[in-house]
Amino acid sequence: MIAAFTITPSFYLILAAILFSIGAVGLLVRRNVIVMFMCVELMLNAVNLTFVSFAKALNDVGGQVLVFFTLVVAAAEVAVGLGIIVAIFRRRRDATADDLRTLEG
Amino acid sequence: MNPHVDFHAFAPEIVLTVTIVAVLIADLFTDDSKLPARIAALGVLGSLVPVLTLAVDGQTRSLFGGAFVVDPFSLVLTGFFLVAGYVTLLLSFDYIGEGDYYQGEFYVLLLTSLLGMIVISSARDLISIFVALETITIPTFVLAGWRKHDTKSNEASLKYFLIGVLSSAVMLYGMSLVFGLANSTVLVDIHKYASGHTPALFAVAVFLTLVGFAFKVSAVPFHFWAPDTYEGAPTPVTAFLSVASKAGGFVALLTIVRLGFFPSGNSWQPILWVLAAASMTLGNLAALRQTNIVRMLAYSSIAQGGFILVPLAVAGDVRGNAAWQAVVIYILIYGAMNLGAFAAVIAAARRTRSAEISRLAGFGRTNPAIAVMFSVFLFSLAGIPPLAGWFAKFVMFRAVFDANTTVAVVLGVIAAVNSVIAFFYYSGVVRRLWFDEPAAGVELSSPRLPVGLSAAMGLMTAVILVVGVYPQFFARLGEIAFQRG
Amino acid sequence: MWEQQVAFWVLAVAMAAAAIGVVRSRNIVHAALFLVVVLAGAAAQYILLAAEFVAWVQVLIYIGAVVVLFLFGIMLTRAPMHDDAGALDNDQRWGGLVVALFVLGVLIALLVNAFGGKKIHFSNALVSLGRTSHVGTDIFRVFVVPFEVVSMLLLAALVGAVVLARKD
Repeated sequence: MIAAFTITPSFYLILAAILFSIGAVGLLVRRNVIVMFMCVELMLNAVNLTFVSFAKALNDVGGQVLVFFTLVVAAAEVAVGLGIIVAIFRRRRDATADDLRTLEG
Repeated sequence: MNPHVDFHAFAPEIVLTVTIVAVLIADLFTDDSKLPARIAALGVLGSLVPVLTLAVDGQTRSLFGGAFVVDPFSLVLTGFFLVAGYVTLLLSFDYIGEGDYYQGEFYVLLLTSLLGMIVISSARDLISIFVALETITIPTFVLAGWRKHDTKSNEASLKYFLIGVLSSAVMLYGMSLVFGLANSTVLVDIHKYASGHTPALFAVAVFLTLVGFAFKVSAVPFHFWAPDTYEGAPTPVTAFLSVASKAGGFVALLTIVRLGFFPSGNSWQPILWVLAAASMTLGNLAALRQTNIVRMLAYSSIAQGGFILVPLAVAGDVRGNAAWQAVVIYILIYGAMNLGAFAAVIAAARRTRSAEISRLAGFGRTNPAIAVMFSVFLFSLAGIPPLAGWFAKFVMFRAVFDANTTVAVVLGVIAAVNSVIAFFYYSGVVRRLWFDEPAAGVELSSPRLPVGLSAAMGLMTAVILVVGVYPQFFARLGEIAFQRG
Repeated sequence: MWEQQVAFWVLAVAMAAAAIGVVRSRNIVHAALFLVVVLAGAAAQYILLAAEFVAWVQVLIYIGAVVVLFLFGIMLTRAPMHDDAGALDNDQRWGGLVVALFVLGVLIALLVNAFGGKKIHFSNALVSLGRTSHVGTDIFRVFVVPFEVVSMLLLAALVGAVVLARKD
């Protein structure tokens, strides 16, 4: 009875795949730069969840180490990204990705 | 139980790291604006010294269970990155100095990106490759937006940033699946895994990883950020992005395909084939229509990226190392040509105060020296002998002939057609330089060129001429890179 | 064992719902708070997966630093809190949804195909695997190079962010 509901790694992997897809949709659909950036964070989190579930399933601590590095890199990205966004907002009140059309051509 | 650490193997990285810290401290304590730049340049040259001693020593050093390997391949590319970084510094000195930008910080970011590049040439596992790739990219997000009072530069940076983080998320997801399937992050183990029977998920994992790389090397259809970012960023940064940072992506791609995914040819070859064909064709067609020289070079570098992908895409059918050698030789030559071309653009823009191609009309009559070198770079990009560019194209086509399968030959034909198309827009600029009358009202004032800029152009011209006439020089480097040490 | 399963399902549903909340919310601050729910849920899942070090790093760095940075970013830029309906979406909405659902379906099918048979055994050996000391040894024995490089990256990111965000 319970065996049918035993949690396998694929449950975690599917949860991660769902989060990744939600993040990807958000990135495509939203125009607000800060929210788009949050969607990227969702995707990175899905990646981390995948790594940790594999670390568990494979009995390999390497997956957890990878997550550690992903976290640090994500932190660096956030710092730089918000720096860029602040620099842009200083020049204009409200920025959406559509404003980037200035550069298209 | 402590691992043996071979400090000689890390010496280039250590010297560069010390330099970064020294630049930061020097910038903090002195008002002398030239000092950080001098330290940066000295440090980059200093990092070349251990590269040479390691090359003389010649033995392959494998550390941390094969995660970090110093072999001829990594030494050749480390040397390339350091030289490219030095030339970028030469281009930046006056541009950054005159523009009232933050100088010390600029060099810190540039050198950190360079550090990522020299690490990536030795990295042999997914974690090191990912971390090094991010170390290359994240500082360049900031550098692209360095002219922060310029809307174009802001947006160049934002666009590059969003695409950059998206691509790392996609690439990481692919890597996580590779890790889960292969049960290791070290490329050697992934190679073993790929030799056996792999589930369909592995192909998806490879696909996601390669899509991430395609963004980084701006291959079509993941290229749309490149022209805007190149145009908006300060020009020396554009030179750096289009040469060093792009080459960093290619080196990682080469390493990961050659040492990791290689046995599972069906999963990566079709993807690279499509990327190569699309990049060459669309890059060249878009370049034909550009009126801005920086945008033209941006599309041209997308197309050149496609040419670099050609030998990679056919590598599965090439016996021996010819395809890998072709990639490395193409990267080395492309670096020299493109750095030179951007140096010439900077030099020309100092006179014409514009990046429009039409403003270059008659430039050859007023500034013959710059125009001659500019023409050399452009003709070399077009692949005309006896300039180095022909040899890059030659090794690429040789790899295609070695592969000698139908798909490879089709790709070769596409590459040949594209070489012809490319000739039109490169020669169009050269014609402007020499045969058009200067437009009325264009004052070609001629203040003296900064020494660094002239040196960079001279150096790149010399490399292109020497390699064009004696291609054995780079051919040998390509051979050495894949020798068993 | 059943506690773990209940916890997994509760957390999974909460995370997915909050993730949709991030994407759909018209208020940026609400989106950031939904993000906190997803991140905290992930941290809880890590504990279920016996990865305690990663779980606490997740709480400290993601919830403690990244989300706070987001909120500061929203404050500093005085971004409009409410998106107008028109500014929220672009015309790719339905196309994006269809593509994403298709990709998700393929991905799930392949994941189940590749890993469906495996089970997680919660043994003591596995619990000790996630111990911080093991992660630490691994980082400093095998991954020293990326560790050092990432520290330079953080330094550079800090310098770069300060330069860009400075008022001058």
